[in-house]
Amino acid sequence: MVGGTIDLAGIYTAYEGSDRPVLKNVSTSIASGEFVVVGGPNGAGKTTFLESINGMLPITHGQARVCGLDVTSHGYAVRRRVGYVIQNFAFDPLAPFTVRHVVMMGRYGLLGYGKQPGEDDRQAVDEAIHLLGIEDLEERPIGKLSGGQQQKVLIAQNLAKNPDILLLDEPFSNLDLCTRDFISEVLTGIADAGCTVVMVSHAFDALPTREIRILVMNDGHLSLDTCCPADEVEERVRTHSGGPHA
Amino acid sequence: MLEFLIPNNIVCHAVEAMLFASIACSVLGVIITHLNISSIGFTMTHAAFAGAAVGIFFGLDGTIAAILASLTIAAILGPLSEKARMSTDTILGVLFGMMMAIAIFFIAYMQYLGAGFNASALLFGNVTSLYREEIYALAVISVAAVLFVLIFFKEITAIIFDRRIAEAAGIRVRPIYYALLFMIAISVSLSLNIIGGLLLYVWLVTPAAIAYQFCTTVRGLFLSAPLVAGSVSVAGAWIGFQYSLPVGPLTAVAFSALFLMAVMISPKRRVPTGT
Ligand SMILES: Nc1ncnc2c1ncn2[C@@H]1O[C@H](COP(=O)(O)OP(=O)(O)OP(=O)(O)O)[C@@H](O)[C@H]1O
Ligand SMILES: [Mg+2]
Repeated sequence: MVGGTIDLAGIYTAYEGSDRPVLKNVSTSIASGEFVVVGGPNGAGKTTFLESINGMLPITHGQARVCGLDVTSHGYAVRRRVGYVIQNFAFDPLAPFTVRHVVMMGRYGLLGYGKQPGEDDRQAVDEAIHLLGIEDLEERPIGKLSGGQQQKVLIAQNLAKNPDILLLDEPFSNLDLCTRDFISEVLTGIADAGCTVVMVSHAFDALPTREIRILVMNDGHLSLDTCCPADEVEERVRTHSGGPHA
Repeated sequence: MLEFLIPNNIVCHAVEAMLFASIACSVLGVIITHLNISSIGFTMTHAAFAGAAVGIFFGLDGTIAAILASLTIAAILGPLSEKARMSTDTILGVLFGMMMAIAIFFIAYMQYLGAGFNASALLFGNVTSLYREEIYALAVISVAAVLFVLIFFKEITAIIFDRRIAEAAGIRVRPIYYALLFMIAISVSLSLNIIGGLLLYVWLVTPAAIAYQFCTTVRGLFLSAPLVAGSVSVAGAWIGFQYSLPVGPLTAVAFSALFLMAVMISPKRRVPTGT
């Protein structure tokens, strides 16, 4: 993990088949190794923000550079260096995939066509599985695990990739309190190792005790972009998330 | 190719054709059933069927017309299926009906006109009068389907697992998806003459569905589906000739019976018994 930068200059992102952009004129610059928490109400565009960074959604205006690469023209290359733990997943209980297989998939984009995983890949997978403490689940079918266990597998999958940037979309939503603290420690560890972490979250009780960059989204805009200590994050997000509950 | 095993030339060609068609269709079928795009496979097979009927009516090559029609449907459905919107299902239903209507109209009209047109081959398949080139073409597409899976095995398994996760991992999902649709179009069109437009779909989904009842790994699925499809098809061709039964329909019935048996004895459907 060498850490990667994110530079967004006035980006607009729209879903296919819709002419109204969801992200509107979003600009920010995230340095290598920062720990970023993205907050904001439901439907504000947080998931859209993450998928604009890794190029899964088309940017219609503006420019996004990630790890120095233009996201629109180098989407695949960007996604090989950027991990992304998705928010809503649902796996068929009968799906023929073991946990180890799923973690290995994190390496697939890095391997060329027709190449089988080698020693390096197996080692990276072992390390990721060890880091998340899911050795005992390795040979279980992923569809038959609990939501929290699946969440850990997906985090391990993205760590196996040794990403420069790790995007996480509400990684705590399926986790119990102890596991939240544990995952938070894991994320702190990889951030300390230099990986840029961008996490959408509403669980502010499990943030690493270090300076945190907070971005608050509201209706497709960034309404707050600042740095603060972990224990002030919740209050800052609360006061800047518009809407009736603010 | 198998003359050294089967001395009778007609039976030999029938066995070869059934073997290659079943391998190509069942290997692609594993991907189709796991991507939940069975209805696209369904519509594409019937587009090939309609294309062939129209092609023959206008005095063109039935296979080429089938490939063109099936590819056209793939080009229309590809972008739609990627979005997986609610309405896709209805669109597929309408397109399927349209393809059937076109096929049946031209077949009925050609029969009315006479002109020595044999509708049953197009409907139920015909394995008794195959050209050598047809068998070679089927051999090529079955090898191509197997190579496609071998070369893109990692990518295909990841896409089967979850499209968005595969995409996030940096896999080129879209090109592989379109390559898949292209391979389906060619495979079903070449198999049309042997299996027939009404039954083609059985080869595309049933072997994969049978394999799914027993396999717990993706590798197992890709190995057992063509194995099941190949052996049932070869047996079907052989028995059909021995007892003068229609080969395509006989094999399709055998597949369906096997599927029912598989569901009944499948370890995956075993209900836990309380003790
Ligand atoms: N596939 C889609 N097609 C069209 N519009 C979409 C799609 N997905 C999301 N949107 C719209 O984009 C906006 C932002 O959605 P997004 O998923 O980014 O919100 P979010 O901040 O992640 O919300 P949540 O906290 O509920 O996860 C919403 O208004 C939503 O209606
Ligand atoms: Mg979201």
